[in-house]
Amino acid sequence: MSRNVLERLLHRLCVDRREKQRFKEDLEGLLERHRLTEEEKAMLRALDVGAMQRHGVNPMLTIGFWFENAPDPTPRAYMKALAAPAARGPEEDR
Amino acid sequence: MGKIVGGFLVPHDPMMFLAPEAPPEEVRGRMWAAFEQCAHRLAKLEATAVVIVGGDHYFNFGTDCLPQYLIGTGDVDGPLDVMPGLKRQFIPDSQDLAAFVARHGHENGFDWSVARAFTVDHAVAIPDRLIVDPVRARGQAIGTIPVYVASGVDPYISMSRCAALGGAIRAAVEAAGEHERVALIGSGGLSHWIGLPQMGQVNEAFDREILAYACSGDLDAMTRLSDEYILQHGGNGGMEIRHWAVAMGAMPGAHGYLIDYAPVPEWVTGLGFVQLMQ
Repeated sequence: MSRNVLERLLHRLCVDRREKQRFKEDLEGLLERHRLTEEEKAMLRALDVGAMQRHGVNPMLTIGFWFENAPDPTPRAYMKALAAPAARGPEEDR
Repeated sequence: MGKIVGGFLVPHDPMMFLAPEAPPEEVRGRMWAAFEQCAHRLAKLEATAVVIVGGDHYFNFGTDCLPQYLIGTGDVDGPLDVMPGLKRQFIPDSQDLAAFVARHGHENGFDWSVARAFTVDHAVAIPDRLIVDPVRARGQAIGTIPVYVASGVDPYISMSRCAALGGAIRAAVEAAGEHERVALIGSGGLSHWIGLPQMGQVNEAFDREILAYACSGDLDAMTRLSDEYILQHGGNGGMEIRHWAVAMGAMPGAHGYLIDYAPVPEWVTGLGFVQLMQ
């Protein structure tokens, strides 16, 4: 189940300094090292913590990921990101 | 035989360190004073060891290994998640007793996972620092035994298993040497929503329901709460009442004395402090 791989990467991005550095400096290279779906890769690129939770990711990981990796790692910014409306897919855009 | 000499049910709120001045002065003063009150009361118990029951916040344990329940049988330090005013330090342990509890459990139907060298997170480090350390500073030698149960990451340990685990700890202590005087600290709760859109909400009605179970010693009623009920009314952080169930399970028949309680949305939780007494 892909969610498990996403949770594994998010956990590493909470506790592993090298992974955090890769996320910052070589995000695409980091994503290639993990068997993630395109949808999950997009969540990570956009730091879309709301989408991650809707995907089933544990909220303790989304908040930890945010505090360790977001450009604005504050609770206020996290709550704002969490409240952002779900991104519309191509079908809905038509 | 060893003896369980008392217990405490307390929060482990990192916001007290991250945003110490966020709540009104009267409220935050009461909460810090409640921890001091717990330390004062622990000192009177003349404990030789303290079992602090916490839960992982998906920080200590990753997807590779998610234990249902774990005991630290070796060296202890922490917290892993350092914060202002809570730096990492070595924590005095009680290795012989911890190993005995694990071994006793293995021989009696409780397959403890063990951590032989364990860096605890704030769930254990905060009560250790605020309740146990002040007692050590008075000259009492108390070793800390960390216990973690699966309250934050599914599959969750059941409430009834937590109560039984407390019983297993008690049985082990009573089978240990007579010099062992052990206190338990159930660390966590009450209602809070960690990382969820409702973060910052506090459900005082849920908190008072749990406090009533703790004060009346009605562990059976507390263990009958379904996960769905707890998640809906107490949030994912409310699942930490499992830590309270372990401590209560180690003290059958005990009643609780309410030291203090306050709903503190600025610290994103309801903070309850109870001493268990038999």
